[in-house]
Amino acid sequence: MTTAPKLSVRGLHKSFGTLNVLQDIDLEIAEGEFVCLVGPSGCGKTTFLRIIGGLESADRGGIEIGGHPVKGPGADRGFVFQADSLLPWRRVFENAFIGLEINGRASDQERSVTRRLLDLVGLSGFERYYPRQLSGGMRQRVNLARALAVNPEVLLMDEPFSGLDAQTREIMQTELLRIWAEGRKTVLFITHQIDEAVYLADRVIVFGRRPGRIQDVVPIDLPRPRDLSVKRDPRFVPLVDRIWKRIEFDVRESVRLGEE
Amino acid sequence: MRAQGTAFLSVLTGLALWEVVGRYMVKNKLFLATPLQAIEKIGETILSGELAHHSWVSIQEFMIGFVVACIAGIAIGLFMARSERTANALNPWVSGIYATPVIAVAPLFILWFGIGIWSKVAVVISLVVFPVIINTEVGIRSADKQLIEMVRAFGATQTQVFWKVSLPAATPFILAGIRLGVGRGLIGVVVGELFGSRAGLGFMIVQAAEVFDMPLLFAGIIVLAAAGILLTAAFRSLERRLVPWHYQ
Repeated sequence: MTTAPKLSVRGLHKSFGTLNVLQDIDLEIAEGEFVCLVGPSGCGKTTFLRIIGGLESADRGGIEIGGHPVKGPGADRGFVFQADSLLPWRRVFENAFIGLEINGRASDQERSVTRRLLDLVGLSGFERYYPRQLSGGMRQRVNLARALAVNPEVLLMDEPFSGLDAQTREIMQTELLRIWAEGRKTVLFITHQIDEAVYLADRVIVFGRRPGRIQDVVPIDLPRPRDLSVKRDPRFVPLVDRIWKRIEFDVRESVRLGEE
Repeated sequence: MRAQGTAFLSVLTGLALWEVVGRYMVKNKLFLATPLQAIEKIGETILSGELAHHSWVSIQEFMIGFVVACIAGIAIGLFMARSERTANALNPWVSGIYATPVIAVAPLFILWFGIGIWSKVAVVISLVVFPVIINTEVGIRSADKQLIEMVRAFGATQTQVFWKVSLPAATPFILAGIRLGVGRGLIGVVVGELFGSRAGLGFMIVQAAEVFDMPLLFAGIIVLAAAGILLTAAFRSLERRLVPWHYQ
């Protein structure tokens, strides 16, 4: 890759007290690349994403987005949360619009962009609904539209489908790829589900635990666009196997220690 | 609709029973007036201007005390939610006084502020302010941490966190505190007037009791009950307007 990476992480280190949570993480993500980060629970993957999002600070190391060092949170990153975190007193549209509002970008033009995004995530006609009137899958669509609305350089997704039932989850995975194909945002997506990572990503980063570190980088060369039948492709299963073998020991450890 | 019908029927039956008991079973007219007698009396006092005179005094006492208590209560509650230290310092006082029947010190307020409206305003404030303080503080503190984190991720300032998350999250709590204050404030007005006053609905009731004018006494009570019901209902509709996400 000749162009500068969209997101670059260098020598990132984080500990809570004596516990090393993240140790010397180096990672570069190219523009338009979809990267998934998998690892057992307790491997620090969520902490890693929160540091990139500016919600936590690192002890050492630097993060650059589009060549600019990250200091604290900002609208150059769109965060999609595990819990949908919709404001219950705002209707769907106002929820999707809040990032722009916070950044003083509440113009008519942005309003119509947000409306288009809600349409893109399949929520046209629901703009005036309150969150509690929506299903879990629909709420996550708002969560995604809200992150996209600020037109971030990088989309940070923290296990956004983990609270959904298995079928809705599969639908949302295909929906995410469809939406992503529209704008080709740079994405860093965290999950503990290996088949989700392989299905979505251009590249899967495998995290190990204690301390959290990169154990393996697996390029996923499955052709796009992908539909769910890719999960039964003969090339799909070996990729899942390779990743599983990498983290199996750590997962067993974390189960044994009762951390799951 | 059916629930309302049942409620209406229940009230009507109760009033009818009261009328029957008052008319045919209680021989001594000094013990009980019937609803119809009370309503007739209300009509008389309206015509004589007596009811308007007393009501106006009570309304002033209530409104001034209520508004001051709401503003002060919200301000103090916000202040407590903002600073842990302030909260720790004020909490024993607030919860202590809230749990005390402050109404017992109403005579003291009469002594301090005289028998005009200001002593009653003070009683109303002392009764209404505490539920508002407590609910405001709890409401602000109960704002979902994940929602605060979400707006922070978009770069929200402390001020934006307050206006866009903490305050809207606290609104239903604050309104519930104010609604509790309605009933307490009405009690404050009447009991304050019982202890010492020159006019007001409570004053009218005491006077009626002293001359055993039962219809007038019950007229006063009915007016107060109606005011309580109407104010609470008005408040509920205000809540529906201000926090529609709770109801839709």
